[in-house]
Amino acid sequence: MHLLLLSLLIIAAGGIVPVLLLRFFPLAKCSAAILTTLGCLIGLYSILTATHFPFSISWEWLHCCALTFTFDSLSRIFLVPIFLISPLAAWYGVGYFSQPEKSLRVAVNYFFFALLIVAMVLLPAADNMLSFALTWETISLASYFLVMYDYHKESTRNAGYLYFLFTQSGALFIFAAFGVIFSFTGNLDFAGTATLPEGVKLVVFSLAFVGFASKAGVFPLHFWLPHAHPAAPSHISAIMSGVMIKMGIYGILRLYFLLAPSSLAIGQAVLVFGMLSGVLGILYALSKNDLKRLLAYCSVENIGIILIGVGMGMIGIALADPVVTIFAMTGALLHVLNHALFKPLLFLGAGAVLQQCGNGRIDQLGGLMKRMPTTGKTFLLGSAAISGLPPLNGFISEFLIYFAAFHALGHSHTIFILAMLAILSLVVIGGLASFCFTKVVGMVFLGEARTPEATAAGPVSLPMTIPMTILAGCCLLIGIFPTTCINFVHLGLADYLFFDASVTAQLTSVGNNLAIGCRLFLLLLALLLCIRRLFYHNKTVTQGPTWGCGFTGGTPRIQYTGTSYVRTVVSIFRPFVLLKESKIRLQAIFPSRTTYCNHVSDIAEEVSNRGLALPLLWVLGKLRWIQHGNIQLYIGYILLTILAVLLTLLI
Amino acid sequence: MIHFAEIVLVLILLSILLSLASNRLLALVKIMALQGIAVSILPLLLEHYRTMGSGGLIFFQMMLLIKGVLIPGLLYFALKKISIHREIEPIIGYHASLFVGLLIILLAVSITDALGNAIPTGNALLLTTAITAFFAGLFLMMSRRKAITQVIGYLMLENGIYLIGTALTQHSHISYVVEFGVLLDLLVGVMVMGIILNNINHAFDDIDTDNLNRLRD
Repeated sequence: MHLLLLSLLIIAAGGIVPVLLLRFFPLAKCSAAILTTLGCLIGLYSILTATHFPFSISWEWLHCCALTFTFDSLSRIFLVPIFLISPLAAWYGVGYFSQPEKSLRVAVNYFFFALLIVAMVLLPAADNMLSFALTWETISLASYFLVMYDYHKESTRNAGYLYFLFTQSGALFIFAAFGVIFSFTGNLDFAGTATLPEGVKLVVFSLAFVGFASKAGVFPLHFWLPHAHPAAPSHISAIMSGVMIKMGIYGILRLYFLLAPSSLAIGQAVLVFGMLSGVLGILYALSKNDLKRLLAYCSVENIGIILIGVGMGMIGIALADPVVTIFAMTGALLHVLNHALFKPLLFLGAGAVLQQCGNGRIDQLGGLMKRMPTTGKTFLLGSAAISGLPPLNGFISEFLIYFAAFHALGHSHTIFILAMLAILSLVVIGGLASFCFTKVVGMVFLGEARTPEATAAGPVSLPMTIPMTILAGCCLLIGIFPTTCINFVHLGLADYLFFDASVTAQLTSVGNNLAIGCRLFLLLLALLLCIRRLFYHNKTVTQGPTWGCGFTGGTPRIQYTGTSYVRTVVSIFRPFVLLKESKIRLQAIFPSRTTYCNHVSDIAEEVSNRGLALPLLWVLGKLRWIQHGNIQLYIGYILLTILAVLLTLLI
Repeated sequence: MIHFAEIVLVLILLSILLSLASNRLLALVKIMALQGIAVSILPLLLEHYRTMGSGGLIFFQMMLLIKGVLIPGLLYFALKKISIHREIEPIIGYHASLFVGLLIILLAVSITDALGNAIPTGNALLLTTAITAFFAGLFLMMSRRKAITQVIGYLMLENGIYLIGTALTQHSHISYVVEFGVLLDLLVGVMVMGIILNNINHAFDDIDTDNLNRLRD
C-alpha cells in the first residue's frame, strides 16, 4: 500500500515543480498537470486494487503526537472523486490560465492546488483528532489561497474573507466537539468515542455538525458558497464544489459511525436540514443571474439531497431497518460521487463561457451552442444529469433515496411524516432543478447572442474541452452501468454496517432494473434520433435566425430573459426568497420607456447580517476608543494586565 | 561581615528611584550605565554562583560590556546627535513618579511575601528589587513622552526580567544561553532605536512619541 504514499509524493511534487519552473510558463503549467495526473492515476489504481482494507500509516511527530491515518472502505469512496477530478481540473487550468505575465500567481495556485489534494486525500483517512485537525486546517487554508487568485479585486478579497471566517469558525466548532470527546476518553484517539454517555453524544454531534455543515454548505451556513465560487478560478470552483465540500459530508458520516448513537433525533435533524438546504438551495439558484453563483446555490441543493439520504440512513439505523439504511446510505454516497462528476462538469463549462464572453451574467449571453459546440453539449448533458433525468447518473442515486423514503413510509407517525416530507421535497427539488437548468441552457446556449461579447465567443482550447468530455462520458457511463457503481459504493459501507444478504440481493436487483430502464431509455432516444434523421433524409433544411418566426424587425433584446422566465415561480415562494422588485407601471396610451429590476436576497445571509454582523459591528464601533494610538496608554494596558494577573494569582 | 550583594541591591534600587526623578536625559543614560553594571555583577556575589566555569565568566564579562558600556554609549551618542537634553512635560510629574516608585517597592515586597516559600532561600530581597525594576521600567515607558526615555524604560524592564530569572532559578548553564540571546536582541534593538530616533528627529524636529499617534487607523 505504499503506492498511495508514492502518489501523494508525486502530487506534492506537482505543486513544487511549477514554482521552480516559473520562467517557463507553458512548461510549468504542463509539468503540474502531468505530475498531478500521474500521481492521481497511481492513487486511483492503488485504492481500486487494494485488497486488504483497512490499512494504517502512522508516525510519531515531535515525540509526543502520533499522526495516524487509516484507509477504510468509507474513505475509499471519498478518495475516488478526488483522484478522478483533480487531474481533469489541473489540465483545465493549463488552458484556463492563459496569461504568461501572471506566471507567479499561476505557479502559486498550482502549489496550493497540490496541497489541497494531498490534504483531501489524507483527511478521510485521519484516525485521531490530531491528524484530522491538521488535514482539516490544511484544506481550509489551501482552499482559501486558491479562492484568492484574483486578489486585486475587492469582491474577491471580500469573498475570501467571508470564506475564511466560515471555515475557521466551523473548525472551532469541530475542535470544541473534539474537546468534549477528549474530556471523556482522555486520549486523542477516536477509538473510545462509542463509550460516551448518550447525552454527550448529542452534544458532540451537534457541535461538530455546525462545523461540518459550514464546510459542506448546509442551509443556514451556506452563504459563503455563492460568494467564493464566482471569485475563484473555474476549475478551483469545480474542485471545491465537487470534492472539497464533500469532506463535510464525510465528517458527518464518520462522526456518526464513530459515536454510534441510538437516538432517532440525530437522523431526523439531519433529514430536516437536508430538506431545507435542498429546497431553498434550488430556489435561490433559480433566482440568481450569475452563472457561477447559480451553480454554487445548486451545490447547496445537492448537499441537501445527500443529507436527505444520510438522514434517512441514520433513521434506518436507529430503527434497525436494513432496507432503509442500505438504500439511503448507498444513494447518498452514490450522489456524492455523482455530484463530484456533474458539478465540476458544469463549473468547467461555466468557466469556458466566462473565458470567452468575459462575464457570467446569464441575461447577457445567449446563442453559445453554435459557437462553443463541445462546451454546450457537455453542459447540456451535465444539466440533465444534475436535474436527475434518466438515463444519467443523477437519476440513479436519487432513485435509491426515493426507494428508501418510500420504504420508510411503512413506519409509524413521525417517521411517516418525515419520509413523506422527504419524498415531497425531493420531488420539488427535482422539478425546480429541471426548471433552473432549462433556464440556464435556454438563456446561455440557445437563442441569439444578446451582447457583442457573446457574439464574439469562439470554441475553447483542447485542454479545456477534453476534461469536460471525459466528465460527461462518466455521467453517461454510471447511468448505463448502474449495478457496478451501486455495488462499488455499497461496499464502502462494509466496515461500518452489517450487511443483510437479502438486502444486498434486493439492491442488486434494483440496480439491474435501473440498468434495463436506462438502457431502454437511451435506445429509445437513439431510435428517435435515427427516425428523425430518416425523415429529414431527402428534404432540404433551411436555417433561419433563431426565434425569427418570419418577423424581420426583431432584435436579440426581445428574447425571453432568465429573470422573466423564472419570475412567476420565484414569486410563488416569496416568503422564503425576499424578492425585491421595482414595479412596472405602464401609463398613458403610449407608455414611455420602462425599466424593471429585481433583487433576491438570501434569507440566511440577510438574517445573519442584521442579527449578527451589524450588532457586532455596532458594539465594536463603540469600543473603538480603546485604539487611540497613544503608546504610553498601550503600555499602561500591558502594566494593568500584568498587575491583574499577578494579583489574582497571589491573593 | 558586609553583604556585598545587598549593597549592590540597594544601589540598583536607588538607581531606579533616581531615574524616576531625573529630568535630564544625559543623567538618565549615566544612571542606566550604573544600573547595567550593578545588574551584571550582582549574580557573581550570590552564594550559589561561587563555582563557575570559564564559560560563565566570559558570559558575565560580555554582559558587563554590553549593559554597562555599549548600550549606554550608543544612547549617549544618539543623544549628542539629536541634541535634546531634557524631558519636558512628562505625563506624570517627577515627584509623583518618585511616589509611584515607592508604591512599586511596596507592591514588590508584598508580591515577594505572597510567593513565600516558592523562591530559593536568601533571594527574597533580590526578587523584590527585580520586580521593582520590572514595574518601574514599564512605568517609565508609560509616563514619559520622549522616545529615548522609552528605550531607557525598556532597558530597565529587561534588567528586571533578568533579575527575576536570577532570583527564581538556581545556577544553571542553560539560563546563560537564553540570557545571552536576549542580550544580543537588546543590543540590536537599541541600535535600531538609535537610528529610528535620528529619523524621527529629522522628520518631526522632535522625538516626542505623540507624533506617532497619527499612525493609528
